Amino acid sequence: MTIFNYIACILLIVLGLYAVCTQKNLLKTIIGLSIIDYGVNLLIVSTGFNDGGSVPIYQMSDLLNGVSAQFFVDPVPQALTLTSIVIGACVNAMSLAIVVMIKKKYGSINVDDVRRLRG
Amino acid sequence: MIQHFPVLAVMGMFLGAFLIEIFGSKNAAVRNAISFITFTVVAGLVYALVKPIIIDGGVIAYWMGNWEPVAGYAIGIGYEVDALGLVFAIIAITAFWISNLYSFGYMKGEHHLGHYYTLFMMLCGSILGFCMTGDLFNMYIMVEIMTFSAVALTGFITEKDGALEAALKYLVLCSLGSGFILTGIALIYLQCHTLNIAQLASMLSGGLTPTTLLAFALTVAGFGVKSFMVPFHTPLADAHAVAPSPISMVLSGVVTKAGVYGMIRCIYIMFRAMDLTQMQIIITAFGAVTMFVGVSMALAQHDFKRLLAFHSISQVGYIITAAGLGTALGLTGGIFHAMNHMLFKGLLFLAAGAVLHQTGGVTNLDKLGGLSKRMPHTTVCFLFGAAAISGLPPFNGFASKWLIYQAAYTKAAETGNFYYLIITITALVVSVMTLASFVKIAQAVFFGQLSEENKDVKEAPAIMLVPMYILAALCLLTGIFYRPIAADFILPAVRSAVDVVKYIDVMMGEGYAAAAGVYNMAVSNVMVSSWSPIVYLILFVTVFIAAFIVILGSKSDRGATVEVDPKNAMKHSNFFSGEEAVYSHVGGSDMLWGYKYDFKPYYRVMEELHSGRVTDYCNMVVIATAIIVVFMFMFMR
Amino acid sequence: MKMHFKEGIHEKNIIVRCGADRILPFALTFGLYIIIYGTVSPGGGFQGGVTVASAILFLYLAYGYDKTTLTVNPEVLRINEAIGASIYVILGLSGILTGMNFCRNWLFDNGAVGDVISAGTVTFMGYTVGYKVLTGVGFLLILMLGLLGPDSSDRKPVKPQKIDPAPAPVVPGKDAKLLSEIKAEKSADTNAEPAADNAQSLEGKEA
Repeated sequence: MTIFNYIACILLIVLGLYAVCTQKNLLKTIIGLSIIDYGVNLLIVSTGFNDGGSVPIYQMSDLLNGVSAQFFVDPVPQALTLTSIVIGACVNAMSLAIVVMIKKKYGSINVDDVRRLRG
Repeated sequence: MIQHFPVLAVMGMFLGAFLIEIFGSKNAAVRNAISFITFTVVAGLVYALVKPIIIDGGVIAYWMGNWEPVAGYAIGIGYEVDALGLVFAIIAITAFWISNLYSFGYMKGEHHLGHYYTLFMMLCGSILGFCMTGDLFNMYIMVEIMTFSAVALTGFITEKDGALEAALKYLVLCSLGSGFILTGIALIYLQCHTLNIAQLASMLSGGLTPTTLLAFALTVAGFGVKSFMVPFHTPLADAHAVAPSPISMVLSGVVTKAGVYGMIRCIYIMFRAMDLTQMQIIITAFGAVTMFVGVSMALAQHDFKRLLAFHSISQVGYIITAAGLGTALGLTGGIFHAMNHMLFKGLLFLAAGAVLHQTGGVTNLDKLGGLSKRMPHTTVCFLFGAAAISGLPPFNGFASKWLIYQAAYTKAAETGNFYYLIITITALVVSVMTLASFVKIAQAVFFGQLSEENKDVKEAPAIMLVPMYILAALCLLTGIFYRPIAADFILPAVRSAVDVVKYIDVMMGEGYAAAAGVYNMAVSNVMVSSWSPIVYLILFVTVFIAAFIVILGSKSDRGATVEVDPKNAMKHSNFFSGEEAVYSHVGGSDMLWGYKYDFKPYYRVMEELHSGRVTDYCNMVVIATAIIVVFMFMFMR
Repeated sequence: MKMHFKEGIHEKNIIVRCGADRILPFALTFGLYIIIYGTVSPGGGFQGGVTVASAILFLYLAYGYDKTTLTVNPEVLRINEAIGASIYVILGLSGILTGMNFCRNWLFDNGAVGDVISAGTVTFMGYTVGYKVLTGVGFLLILMLGLLGPDSSDRKPVKPQKIDPAPAPVVPGKDAKLLSEIKAEKSADTNAEPAADNAQSLEGKEA
């Protein structure tokens, strides 16, 4: 029943958006970005699920014998999710490095203090 | 062999970036040599594609690893280069080549230059890959590489005030946009189980199910974040003020165009929804708001590069409005303006960078002044750029803006809708305000009186002047010869954006589109205006020579001097209350003060919205995305 | 690995050190197994690369930042990351040299199904990706760990002790002291010493 997957991923995305839009601490904003990434990754993996399918490792003879389409789960979304996880890790690393340096320069990581460029 | 050129260009760029990482961290000569050679070779590869694609009208379909479609189903990653993608790729590689030449002179003496060139070449490679790919997930990957490189380059000079803050805001907001694009891609895959753009175009062009409608809205919003429409425009203003100038040129000239290209590819080809009236209304609405907000905020700025950034946002609004009109004339004007914007905005940013470099980091408009006496070449180039952006003939800005005005007015006349008349009037008013703003900058920075601190400012070095003169010459030439360029260079791109059947057939095999029931949408025919720039150029030169002769030959007593008796000198010094002539330069904040005072309520609201907090900007992004999603669900079921 | 002992380098807790000594070879071997058997079993380049790079975290937890950078040089990691990426692109371009398109698997029948080296260029590209990820993530970890300050599992540095010569024997009767006086002298000495030690160790940390 993948309906639970979709509900969970919508909840994760909305939670992440809430964290990014309302939290005052910059670290919480970055955690919100990560939560959005988790939700989207869950969505991508859930699109490839076939009920009752096995792992997508097969012999050519199985395919040529004409088995049904639900023989194995779709491997393409799994590859997409791997790539997306790597990208999420890079975003995390880069944003945390910038936040550490902002703390050194500005002295605080409150959103109300890090606003010298405005107007 | 020619079908390998797109992949060779992209991969050559990445290979150059890695080679600089290995060899170029210590030796400046090796680094400069590797980057110059790589950029020249890749530019040659991209320009070699002009003949088969644009002039002959072909499309290159390239499957990676020779994984051809099996039983009508695409299973491999495909690169498809048509004229639309190639025009944007040419815009990108030209801007990068010129910026590379400029950054040899500008970035001399900074630390970690090996990392700078690596990131620079990865930015270029990712944009070239984005414009030339035919696979949806590959587009997402290239957009992500572009975002990371642009963020790292924005915050490159960490000692500069506000650089890290601008980089963080850019990263957070663009990650939100990427999240939206990825959600859209996941929903499209859920519905269609394929990722190839040509096959998706054949599947999605029929009706729109609720899943694909949500995917459409999210993808358009995501690419809108990347192209910095309003209200997604806030990180661009911050990023331009603190990035090094060659990066500012590339950010405003190319990265914003990549977002616009993504939107055009999505709306025109993949979803083929441009002939729906509601689609045109919402895209032109966003474009008009972008134009107006960009230029009105620009008139209130004190910082040179932040002001140019807001003008950049306003010009991107022109492109989005023109592309959103849905007519062939509009798309011609839009793509032509994209190319011209790269040329003149690049020129303006390079001139600003030269001023910044020579005065030692001063960008406040109140502190500069009278620099035309010390930096004459920079002044001439800046004036070329300012005339081009304001839309004065015979420069290229006039040609593309004239096409946009004509497209909007023709659309208003065809459909009889009052809304498009408002769009035309907005475009005209914004052009006037652009001219006002550039008069202000020219007076504040280049003319007027030279201040004490800037007395011994030297002219920029030759390696920084050569790119500026190249761009200035291109501005003038594309303005004078606008008719061949619009007919031979831009029009094939427009035709390929409208011709979905050919796009699908080249990738998936002949007859695929007809079997799937896809047809081209009806667009009105192209009419190119009947204005000739040579006449205006001759008129301009004649009037100029006449004015010159009149002023020289007339007997005016402007330069007459009166002998003053030293005993009575006090009587004649009534203007400066008896003191020596003081520094009385009309600065940047003084010029349009009355205008700002009259529109105080509007500016107060705008300054509250641009508060500088990341959470406020994210709120604007989420609200605008929600508006797009709700609008599409209400009107396009 | 040859251990370098320098003045002022902090050592970590002994339990963490012993545990990391035992686990580190397993982490490295397991990570390399995941990379090398990437086409035959679950795993592959990225997963194995991250596992090998986590060995650097073990080194940091056990021995501190300075010894970790002495063992695993960040400059070498950075250059190797670029070398790995270049080899990947060159392997992809080799498809063009054989007349087919980019990333073409032109060695596709070099082994039976189920062998380690069996999938042609895909296997080698997987190895290259693993190499790039392990050097790249390792470099990233070292960079981020360098931003951290000292933590609670640091001990004071171990300095070689000077051994005093044996004190002169006390002859009873000649210069006999009361027991309370001897105790008072001893407590005054031991109070002075640790304070000096602490001040020195803090200065060592700042430097």
